[in-house]
Amino acid sequence: MSDEIAQDVRKGFAYGLRQSLTIVIGYAPVAVTFGILATQFGLTYWEAGLMSFFVYAGASQFIAIEMIHQGASFWMIGLTTLIVNIRHLLMSLSVVPYFPERTLKWSLGLAHGLTDETFVLNTRVMKDVIGEENRRRVMLGINLGAYSSWFVFTILGGVIGKWLPIQFSGFQFALLALFIILTTMSLSKNNYLTYLLAAVLAVVLKLLIPGKIYLILSVALAAGIGALWRKRARSRLINPSNEQTIKVS
Amino acid sequence: MSNQLLMTILLMTVVTYGSRVVPFLLFKGKNVQGFARDFIELVPIALLAALVIPELVTPSGSIVIMHNPFLWAGVLTFIFSKLVPNLFLGIMFGMTVFWGLDKLLL
Repeated sequence: MSDEIAQDVRKGFAYGLRQSLTIVIGYAPVAVTFGILATQFGLTYWEAGLMSFFVYAGASQFIAIEMIHQGASFWMIGLTTLIVNIRHLLMSLSVVPYFPERTLKWSLGLAHGLTDETFVLNTRVMKDVIGEENRRRVMLGINLGAYSSWFVFTILGGVIGKWLPIQFSGFQFALLALFIILTTMSLSKNNYLTYLLAAVLAVVLKLLIPGKIYLILSVALAAGIGALWRKRARSRLINPSNEQTIKVS
Repeated sequence: MSNQLLMTILLMTVVTYGSRVVPFLLFKGKNVQGFARDFIELVPIALLAALVIPELVTPSGSIVIMHNPFLWAGVLTFIFSKLVPNLFLGIMFGMTVFWGLDKLLL
């Protein structure tokens, strides 16, 4: 009925919310699992919900409830969270160029919804949305859909965990499964060498250094070396003006 | 709620939201290019490797191959989600296979 331009104009909050559905159905089992594990580790369902509401970062939340269970100090948990979540800095950095005219209110709001999953979806969707105002609304829709499902399903999991003491070992694999699926979706011939390098570095460093420091070390080293490889590969190209058009993912 | 837990959530919020919001507040320029751009693009995939592979290969602190439900559930989940690219089904598959292997391999 309508041509492509008219469809682009209509891309706004509702479009983003619809797009977020793929994340919502992925978050639901992980958030339910988080809620169940949190209550099994001695948190109440609303404490688990509070953590999902304010922190909203899956991996670090799972690590945190485990550390709380083991009696770690909040300083240690805070430091570990920083190591695991500092990557948001880089995702945030690569998203902000889409919004050069953003106001403070939009900055504060859009930033909170940035996760691995919404980052991937936003960068994929954003390229086809014309106009910053529309892009903000689309991202708000994506972020809000994902965020509210994370919160609601955490509470649901917490309530389930409270009333039904389930002993299902599969729960401890939920987050790993999520990460593995994300890997199959983002692994390509442009980045698999960095992936392998990070994998080897992470295993070796984890065995050598106690704590979670191996995470940030292996990620920084592998991404740094991977970026140098790309720089070398690019400098071998004959025409340097091609540099801008090389598509990497 | 205990003060300990309140402080934990507060500190986690500060470092996590901080990492998310700082570029939004400080970074005005157009776009990053060259090394910085490649680095930023490679961080997510490197992080996925660092979060997953050590957990699969060294679940209890040393390298285990055969009697390791994490490793084999991981391999099977990877293959499954290559064939069926669906987040929800993939997670359900992973959890179920892990549960089964955990029973079998112990």
